[in-house]
Amino acid sequence: MRNRLILSALTAAFLSVPPVAQAEVGNTPETLAIAGILDNDTFDRAGLSIGHRAQYWMPVFDTLLYTAPDGKTMPNLATEWRFNGDGTELTLKLREGVKFSDGTPFNAEAVKANLEYLRDGVGQNTWMAGAIKNVEIVGPAELKLHLKEPDPGMLFNLATVGGAMASPATLGKADSKMLPIGSGPYIYDTARSVTGRQYVYKRNPDYWNAGAFPFETMTITPINDLSARMNALKSGQVDAAAGEGQVVTEAEASKLTVSRLPVDWLGLFLSDRDGKMVKALSDVRVRRALNMAFDEKAILKFVARGYGEVTDQPFVPPSEAFDPSLDGTYQYDPKAARALLAEAGYPNGFSVTMPDIGTLAPYTPIITQQLKDIGVTVSWVKVPPNVTVAELLSGKYPMFLFRLGSQSPWADFNKFAFANSPWNTSKAKDEKLEALLKTAQYTPPGKEQNAAMQAANRYMVENAFFAPWFRIDSIYISNAQVKVQMQAQNIVPWPRNYAPAK
Amino acid sequence: MIRYLLKRVASGIALLCLVSTVTFMMVFGATGNVARNILGENATADQVTALNSRLGLDRPLMVQFGDWVSHAVRGDLGPSWTMSESVASALASRLPVTLSMVTIAVALMALLAAMLGIAAAVRGGWADRAIQIVSVAGFAMPNFWLGLLLVLTFSVELGLLPATGYVSFSASPSAWAASLVLPVTSLVLSGIASASQQIRGAVIDALKQDYVRTLRARGVSPRSVLYRHALRNAMPAALTVLSVQFIALLGGAAVIERVFAIPGMGSLTVSAALIGDVPVLMGVVVTLIIVVVLVNILVDFLNAWANPKVRMS
Repeated sequence: MRNRLILSALTAAFLSVPPVAQAEVGNTPETLAIAGILDNDTFDRAGLSIGHRAQYWMPVFDTLLYTAPDGKTMPNLATEWRFNGDGTELTLKLREGVKFSDGTPFNAEAVKANLEYLRDGVGQNTWMAGAIKNVEIVGPAELKLHLKEPDPGMLFNLATVGGAMASPATLGKADSKMLPIGSGPYIYDTARSVTGRQYVYKRNPDYWNAGAFPFETMTITPINDLSARMNALKSGQVDAAAGEGQVVTEAEASKLTVSRLPVDWLGLFLSDRDGKMVKALSDVRVRRALNMAFDEKAILKFVARGYGEVTDQPFVPPSEAFDPSLDGTYQYDPKAARALLAEAGYPNGFSVTMPDIGTLAPYTPIITQQLKDIGVTVSWVKVPPNVTVAELLSGKYPMFLFRLGSQSPWADFNKFAFANSPWNTSKAKDEKLEALLKTAQYTPPGKEQNAAMQAANRYMVENAFFAPWFRIDSIYISNAQVKVQMQAQNIVPWPRNYAPAK
Repeated sequence: MIRYLLKRVASGIALLCLVSTVTFMMVFGATGNVARNILGENATADQVTALNSRLGLDRPLMVQFGDWVSHAVRGDLGPSWTMSESVASALASRLPVTLSMVTIAVALMALLAAMLGIAAAVRGGWADRAIQIVSVAGFAMPNFWLGLLLVLTFSVELGLLPATGYVSFSASPSAWAASLVLPVTSLVLSGIASASQQIRGAVIDALKQDYVRTLRARGVSPRSVLYRHALRNAMPAALTVLSVQFIALLGGAAVIERVFAIPGMGSLTVSAALIGDVPVLMGVVVTLIIVVVLVNILVDFLNAWANPKVRMS
C-alpha cells in the first residue's frame, strides 16, 4: 500500500510539470512547414534581420516594396516610388484600405512611425533607415523621405527590414518582441507557437494579396543540425529547409528537390592594405600575387564539391555592381605569383598570421600549402566560434579567409569599401575608390549608376582588395509537396517563394 | 533522518553558491564580444559600445555579480540578452523537455538494468556471459549513432515515429509519447550497459553476505532471500549508479537533443554558449545544480526508506 502511494505521488509529481508549451502543428497539405537553421531572436520591429531569420517575420510584417526572386524591386504596400533629380528625396505612394491585424489603419503616419522607430533604435539593421533625415507626410497615402545624402540601397532596404511594417501601436512595447502585429499575409498564432520549438502562422483573412500566399498555415521549426533537418525532410515533417553541399547526393537519392543559387562569396580579405602589420601587403603587386596563388577551380571542385562558380570579385549576380568581365582577372599561376613577389622586393616571400576559423577549417591546410608554394609562410591563431566575427573585425589580422553574404551593391560597398566600413578591418582609406563611390552614390538610379558601381568594383579588383575564390551556392532542399524559388541576395527564399506542387 | 537531510540541503546550497560564483567569473571573461554577436557584422563600434552599456557590461565585474545575485535570490534570473523571452521563461519551456526525456530514460534504464543485472547475478553461466557481451556492445555504441540509426529506421524508412521535435504532454499525450520514444531509446540502450553491470556486481556481493547464508540455512525461500533481503541491501549501490546516470544524462542530453532537434536544456545551453548569453548560461547552471542536488537528496531518501541500516547510520 505504502509503495503504491509513493509511486502514485511520484507519477503525479512528474505529470504535473507545468503546461508551459502548447502544441506542435503537424504538416498537412494546406500547411507550408519549413525548418529554419537559426531560432528567431525577436519580433521587435527594430531588431529584425535579413538572411535566415527573415522567414520568421516576413509572414507577419508586410514590406513597402519587395524583391522578386530575380532581385528586381517590385511594388507592394507602396505602389509607386520616385526619386528626385539628385536622389535626396524619395516619394512613396501607399496602398489604400490596408489594416494591421489589430485594426490600426496602414497609412503614411504608420510608415513614418515605423521608419523613425527603426532609424532611432539599436537593432543590427538600423543602418537601413540611417540615410533618412526626416519623413514628410504628404497625404494619408503619400509620403516623402528626405535623405541626408543619396542612398542607392534604399529601395532594397525598403523591400526588406527597412520596409517592414508593424502596427504603430506595438512599436517600443515590451511584448512586441514575442508578439508581432502586422498587416502581412499571416497572423502569428501565439496559442499554437512555442518559442524555440515551433512558430505557427495562420492566414490573415483580410490580406490584400492572398493569392500570392497559397498556404492556409505556415510553420517554422528551428532545426540547427544538418542531419536532423535532413531527417525531418525525408520523413515529411517539414517541406523545405536549407541544406549544404555534403547532403545534395543524399537529398537527390531520397527524391528531394535541390535548388541552388550563389549568394555568398568566399575568399581572402587582404585588409592590411596600408601595411601596418605586414608591410608587403601595402604593395599591390603582392596582393595580386596572392590572387594568383590559389587553385580555385580545384578547391571548388574538391572541397566545396563544385557548388559554386570561380570568381575574382566580391559581388554576385544579380548585384548591379557585378561585372562578369572581371572574373578571370587573376588566373592560378604560382610561378607568375613568385615573380610578382620578387618584383615587389619579396623574392623570399614573407610571413603572415591568419585566424583559423572552425567553420572554414577544411581550407586551412590548403592556404598553408598554396601560400608556401609562392614563399609566404602562414602561422595560424585559433579563433573560438563564439567570437569569430568580433575577432575578425577587431583589425588584428592582416588577412583572413571568410564567407560573406552579398546583398544590395550599396549595402555591400558600405560593408567593406569605405574607410569606416566594418569589413574594412584595418580601416585603410583609398581616396580614388571613395571618389568612384561618391560618383555612384550621386548618379541617379539606372544604367549610369550601375556602370559607376561596376567601375568601383573594377577598381577594387584591379587593386586586389580581396582575393575572392568563388561564389558559393546556397542550397535549399524541398519535398514533392512544394515548389520553391530561390531568392536572389538572400540565403533562403522569402515566404512568397513557396507554392503547392499541385 | 531529518537532520541528515537538512545537512544535505545545506551542502547543496553551498554547492550552488560556489558553482554560480565560479561560473559567473568564468563566463564573464568572454562577454566582451556579446554585443558584437548580438548586433551582427554590420554594426558600428558606437552601436556595440551603446549595447554594452545597455546590458550593463561597462560596470565593474563585482557590481554586475552583486546585481545578478540580488535578483537571483529573489527568483529573478533577468532577461536573456539574445532571445525575446526572459531566462525564467526559456528555462520553464526547456527544462520539462529535458527532464521528461531523462527521467523516463533513467526509469526504463533502472527497470531493464535491474532485470538484466539480477538475471546475470543469479543465473550466472551462459546467461551472465551473454548479458555481459550485450552490455559491452551497448556500451560501445555512442548514443548519437544509435539515435541516427533509429531515426533512419523508424522515421525515414517506416514512417512510424517523428524524426525530430518535441510535443508537450499537455498538448497531446500520445504525440508527447511518440516524440520521446526514439530519443529515450537511444539514451537507455547505451546507458543500460554500465547500470546492469553495477547492479549485477551489487547483487553478487549481497548474495555472498553471511546473513544470506543464514537465511538460506533457516529454509527461507530463494525468491524471498533475493527480493526481500539481498536486493534491499544491493539497493544503495544501484540507486547511486542510477543517480549518477541521471546526472550524466542531464549533461549529455545535448547530443541527443541535437540529433532529434529537441528544444531542451542542452540545445539552450549550446546556443547560449555560442553567442555568449550569460544570463541564460547562469540560469542553466543554477537550474541544473538544483536538479542535481534534489536528485541526490531523493536518492538518500530512497536509500533510507529501503534500507533501515542507512537510517540508523
